Amino acid sequence: MRRGSGIAALLSLAALIAAGCGGGGSESGRATLNLWVFNEPSGSFTDAAKRCSAASGGRYKIVYNKLSNNADQQRQSLVRRLAAKDDSIDIMGMDVIWTAEFAEAKWIKAWPERFARQLRAGTLKGPLATATYQGRIYAAPANTNTQLLWYRKDLVKNPASTWDGLIAQASRLPKAGRIEIQGAQYEGVVVWFNSLVQSAGGTIVANNKVTPGPAWSKAAQVMHQLATSKAADPSLSVIKEDQARLAFEQGNAAFELNYPFIYPSAKEGNPKIFKEIGWKPYPGVEEGKPGKAPIGGINWGVGAYTKHPNEAFEAAACLRNEPNQREAAAAGGLPPTLAKIYDDPKFKKDYPFADLIRESVDKGAVRPPTPAYADVSLAIAKTVSPPSSIKVNGFVGDLSGKLNDALDSKGLI
Amino acid sequence: MNRRYFGWGTANLVVIIAAMFPVFWILMLSLKDPTTLNDGRLVPSKWSWENYKGIFDESVFTDALRNSIGIALIATLIAVVLASMAAYAIARLDFPGKTLILTAALAIAMFPPISVVGPLYNMWRNLGLFDTWPGLIIPYMTFTLPLAIYTLSAFFREIPWELEQAAAVDGATPYQAFTKVIAPLAAPGVFTTAILVFIFAWNDFVFAVSLTSTPAAQTVPAAISQFPGASQFQQPTGSIAAASMIVTVPIVIMVLLFQRRIVAGLTAGAVKG
Amino acid sequence: MSDVAVEAPARPRRKVLTGRAKAERKLGWTLCAPAAIVMLLVTAYPIAYAIYLSLLRADLRFPDDRTWVGLTNYITVLSSKLWWLDVGHTALITVVSVALELVLGMLLALVMHRAIFGRGLIRTSALIPYGIVTVVAAFAWRFAWSSAEGGFVPKLLGFDFDPTATTEGFWNYVVVILTEVWKTTPFMALLLLAGLTLVPEELHEAAKVDGASAWQRFWRITVPLMKPAILVALLFRTLDAFRIFDSVFIISNGNNPNVESVSVLGYNELLNRLNLGVGSAISVLIFLCVAFIAFLFVKGFGTSLSQQRGD
Repeated sequence: MRRGSGIAALLSLAALIAAGCGGGGSESGRATLNLWVFNEPSGSFTDAAKRCSAASGGRYKIVYNKLSNNADQQRQSLVRRLAAKDDSIDIMGMDVIWTAEFAEAKWIKAWPERFARQLRAGTLKGPLATATYQGRIYAAPANTNTQLLWYRKDLVKNPASTWDGLIAQASRLPKAGRIEIQGAQYEGVVVWFNSLVQSAGGTIVANNKVTPGPAWSKAAQVMHQLATSKAADPSLSVIKEDQARLAFEQGNAAFELNYPFIYPSAKEGNPKIFKEIGWKPYPGVEEGKPGKAPIGGINWGVGAYTKHPNEAFEAAACLRNEPNQREAAAAGGLPPTLAKIYDDPKFKKDYPFADLIRESVDKGAVRPPTPAYADVSLAIAKTVSPPSSIKVNGFVGDLSGKLNDALDSKGLI
Repeated sequence: MNRRYFGWGTANLVVIIAAMFPVFWILMLSLKDPTTLNDGRLVPSKWSWENYKGIFDESVFTDALRNSIGIALIATLIAVVLASMAAYAIARLDFPGKTLILTAALAIAMFPPISVVGPLYNMWRNLGLFDTWPGLIIPYMTFTLPLAIYTLSAFFREIPWELEQAAAVDGATPYQAFTKVIAPLAAPGVFTTAILVFIFAWNDFVFAVSLTSTPAAQTVPAAISQFPGASQFQQPTGSIAAASMIVTVPIVIMVLLFQRRIVAGLTAGAVKG
Repeated sequence: MSDVAVEAPARPRRKVLTGRAKAERKLGWTLCAPAAIVMLLVTAYPIAYAIYLSLLRADLRFPDDRTWVGLTNYITVLSSKLWWLDVGHTALITVVSVALELVLGMLLALVMHRAIFGRGLIRTSALIPYGIVTVVAAFAWRFAWSSAEGGFVPKLLGFDFDPTATTEGFWNYVVVILTEVWKTTPFMALLLLAGLTLVPEELHEAAKVDGASAWQRFWRITVPLMKPAILVALLFRTLDAFRIFDSVFIISNGNNPNVESVSVLGYNELLNRLNLGVGSAISVLIFLCVAFIAFLFVKGFGTSLSQQRGD
């Protein structure tokens, strides 16, 4: 019947189209490895991909696929496809907080010892910890990032080394007496909270269990104190990294906790202030106990459904090898994860605080390594932002209840 | 008399401006030079085609266009075929279950798509249909069937089927009767229904953003919502505006050409005869 | 034959179908079958599947941990402040936008019906909002109102804040509702227009002769006679408004708890967190809400869908 053949034709058309939308194939012998990561503006990722493809001796070719610049959208896109067993994701650039989630969900492959060995040699401890889950290495640390305490040398001679001290110093200044930090309800405020908790000697989640303790109250107290003091920016509850940078760069604050990107920005944007910028390690919570700085960055993970795992491991390890990290540091300003690059003269010239970055990252505060990190982060953000509304009494009970729900997949915060 | 004209003229003008203004705004926005995007003006201070050039630099947008057109056309084709058969039966034949089908179709028209998206995502990922054309074509067909069936049955009820018998009496074969008498009468209704279905598939966002994620199958609404900026700190406002204009122009033309049909189709579905 | 005449009222007799009638039935079912099968497979089956998933702990981030948890997911959702907040947002947006659409739609329908000239032009321009991709419309309104993205409205109105910032609850609503109203008033107007054309002109003429004003004629003649059409339009629009997703998603950038609608919440749980258990519970609850609204309209307000059913 006319109807039957019509439908058969349509179904075969549909099948053809579906077949045509398959993943990356391979030419005779040479594997195509699809790399998925955001568009790095200086081109260091593009160069690394080319170099590693050339160094493979014809065994593989890395194709650079660009993801959105927004970390949340990157994760959304990857996660949905990985859950759908997409085999066209060979290597992906993973934010450090995704390791536990992707590993538990079996979306990335654990690194076999023969490949993991080279990852450990010379890599800073902090980044390596972000790529590890339950004792196994799941990704190759490519670059890292951290926050330093930036201050105005012309306004403060000797910044305090604790939060209380800084708040007191800032409040006493006649003008620009502010501490800029990220207080909006997003990942940035969770970074702050986590660093505080770990600086106070505690943890938020360990071994997939929530670990409430006095460190939490101390962290909540510090945040609340800063938010209600004279040292707080009035818009603290909506400030993210860029607004903090702008406020400090325009001379409205004496102190800033932020990533090193503020340094080249100030050089261009406000040379007068730039001359007066000094840097110190992330403040601590108690006198005598150094603070633990945040750790950010990118790790290269290998997709679980890749058709070429061996090539992918090799390529990922190559993408973050010494020459590639050197270029990423010098051209893109991406702090390396290999310790010895911090001695690279060009990097040190552009980033005179390179040694401080290395130290901070080596001993930094890794964010809670749990597969439910997305929900954990949301719960924390909603509880500590706006910081001026933190209720220090009962804080620990409130947050631990929410985090326990998050870990049980009851994450409807 | 003049006052009446004036009154209606004003009313017409208000309607036209209200309807067209947002489109006008997007047009202006798309023609703004990228460095002036944040100037807060309605009309560009600096005119430029940069935004349009920009979206064709990467293949994301052209892929999305291709996907949108292909998926919408195929979904329309299948939906119209299936709906025509059902509508023909409903309009002309008598059989139990007619009311059931119509009630079921009505119920489906009321379904919240989000309730279906979760299970569909799970089903599709197990069947390998995630991020593929069929993965979108199937839900589109389904959710446009109620509209299509209603519109078509309303049209088909208007057709004087006796003409078919008259043609037979005049010596025509059933095939000739159909193609020469019935088909031309049915064509406008089918065409209108196709337009309505196409608009639905072209516009959809929920399914597109849930069941696709790469240029392999992402349609324009989903792609636009995920446009990256040219660099980390530049907003994609200009590119979104340019892309929006490109997908709006065909719709505006279609509406201009077929407004009579579209109105007839929408109102036929709502009122019997 | 006479037996039939006597017995028919007391006992329903089985209809004896002629061969032709049987063939007609078979043809009818065969022709409807493909459409019916597609509709069943792609709507009924997923809903059943959603109900099933909602009773499990099904989180794609913990793939080995699939256990039966009964109604736990529902309790999680129903005891969550966020869920009720979102239901509130959705209800507010629904009520306000539908009310505005009804009023404006009626006005537009009257213009379309009685315009002396330019009817074609009016219809065309009224259809453009209908045809435009919702995402495009949402972006247009968002960009116009967002000072962070170069909008001209905040400047025009002398605002010193950004109406689309996540902290501006009230203004977020305003933008979302404006988008919705702009986009769907034409559709509402068309549905109402269909009802308008059914009101007999003679009634209006007679009333004019009796000295009734336009206002009186509208409320005493037009509206009562249009009641069925109005109810049908209201039913469809309310259901549509409750299911709102596109405009809210775009204007709030997917993560503004101040205007989150229940559909966006469902989307976040299902496709961002990949928490299929809780997400499915939300889906089922939304489905029940929609069914409830439909029930309310049909049984409560007496919306007559018989015309849609082709009776």
